[in-house]
Amino acid sequence: MLADILAHPKIMKQYFILQFKMLNRQLTEWGIEPVIGYVVGLFAFIGISIKLFEKTQFAEYIYIVLALSLVIKLNEINRNDFLKLCYSKTEYIKIRIVENLIVSIVFITFLLFQEKYLSSILLFISVCLFSLLDFKNKSSFTIPTPFYKYPFEFIVGFRSNYLIYFFAYFLTFMSISVNNFNLGIFSLILTLLSCLNHYTNSENEFYVWVFSMTPKEFIRYKLKNIIQYSTILCLPILITLALFFYTKIDIIVVFQFLGYLFIFTTMLAKYSVFPEKLNIRFGIVFALTFWFPPLLLFIIPYLYIQSTKKLKEIL
Amino acid sequence: MISIENLSKSYGSKLVLENINLNFEKGKVYGIVGENGAGKTTLFKCIAGLEKYNGAIHCEYGKPKDFLGYLQTEPFFFSKITGNEYIQLLCNARNVIYPDIKEKNIFDLPLNEYAVKYSTGMRKKLAFTAILLQENKLFILDEPFNGVDIHSNIIITEIIHKLKGMGKSIIISSHIFSTLNDTCDEIFLLKNGKIIKTVLKEEFRNLESEMKAFTIGNKIEKLNLK
Repeated sequence: MLADILAHPKIMKQYFILQFKMLNRQLTEWGIEPVIGYVVGLFAFIGISIKLFEKTQFAEYIYIVLALSLVIKLNEINRNDFLKLCYSKTEYIKIRIVENLIVSIVFITFLLFQEKYLSSILLFISVCLFSLLDFKNKSSFTIPTPFYKYPFEFIVGFRSNYLIYFFAYFLTFMSISVNNFNLGIFSLILTLLSCLNHYTNSENEFYVWVFSMTPKEFIRYKLKNIIQYSTILCLPILITLALFFYTKIDIIVVFQFLGYLFIFTTMLAKYSVFPEKLNIRFGIVFALTFWFPPLLLFIIPYLYIQSTKKLKEIL
Repeated sequence: MISIENLSKSYGSKLVLENINLNFEKGKVYGIVGENGAGKTTLFKCIAGLEKYNGAIHCEYGKPKDFLGYLQTEPFFFSKITGNEYIQLLCNARNVIYPDIKEKNIFDLPLNEYAVKYSTGMRKKLAFTAILLQENKLFILDEPFNGVDIHSNIIITEIIHKLKGMGKSIIISSHIFSTLNDTCDEIFLLKNGKIIKTVLKEEFRNLESEMKAFTIGNKIEKLNLK
């Protein structure tokens, strides 16, 4: 296979140079110097991996799932159709195999380093096989949601991440089974973080422009959606934890309230730079607020003023 | 309803629109024609308030964007939102009560399916349906007939006539001259960011042949096709 790939080095080289440029541009857009991004990324990956393998016996399985989910993300229909149009069948397959290997190589290498030979071989074979598969979703099935009245963040977010929500509910169930309150709180945090994630990407400008509202009304409208819909998603966890750990209801309420504040902050941060995307500076500030939540008292008013200014230009 | 005075727009040192002066009255349909890159979409975005500009736009109702239905050339849809939800979102945005959609779905769109799975024409029809249900007073339709089947083209043309009868103003850009001929009261020719000609209904007949001669010239001979 490698000999085959090397037989057409020019086409492959051009394609991957272009991909490399695109990745560098994306990092720059996030406010990260590409070289620093790669070095920090690699060290962070090694650090997190070492911790993961120390902490849990399921690390190798988590690793396989993570690597395969990245590979599946690359298997996007329109992107693959475009590649098929541009390249011959053999070139297409070679490109797909090489890019799947590039994405998963760090996982395979670390599994080898951890002497998990069977898992690394299995991952390698799966990654190569995935290059030959097309995940064309021809089904017209629409995942139902209770959020139809006020689209779009929770509708799109829930449909994209519904497995995370079901996993969180499963963890809540487990927390009751093993009588572990911390696990229950973790499931609540996971749900709230997933809700927060719905507000990290800037939407197309049209979807802000179209509102006949003042910036303040627009922010109030979004805040109402956040409270209403994140409560719906957290409700099964909140009720279960409140019933089985009723002596710790104050802690549950504090976490839920902090969750609202963090989601609200993310929404404000998004509109404070709109239509630009959130960059690494926000990530650093956000990490600081996680470490010391009272910082939100200063950050929220600042972001609120910035968002109203930005929104005023569009609304 | 809307008057544009000395509107200019530039991207860096490149002047895209230069001293545009236009008046759009109630109950009239206006066409804007021009080659790709002539500045049509930029002009629409300026009217919509999606682009900053120099000059002035006066409007008797206040901000044009609050009562403007803007059909973009390529409407954007979120990856996992259904046709129904898209219409709901646009109605919410204008504080309009979501109607009984079964009756209003005149293009027979599969509204319970994800909009990104729609064909180009279906996406355009969905976006058009949504702005119609917003109860707007002014419409900007950027290439409304592109990619849309002939039956729907007939329906769109009839809707434009109906909107005109209701006293609404409609601005259309189209590369299909016959559609403008059927719908417009006045056509503006945009070239290199300037309005170079205004043509009234009675002069439309000459316009198409003039445009052909003006646009094609001897370009095809130059291609030296073999």
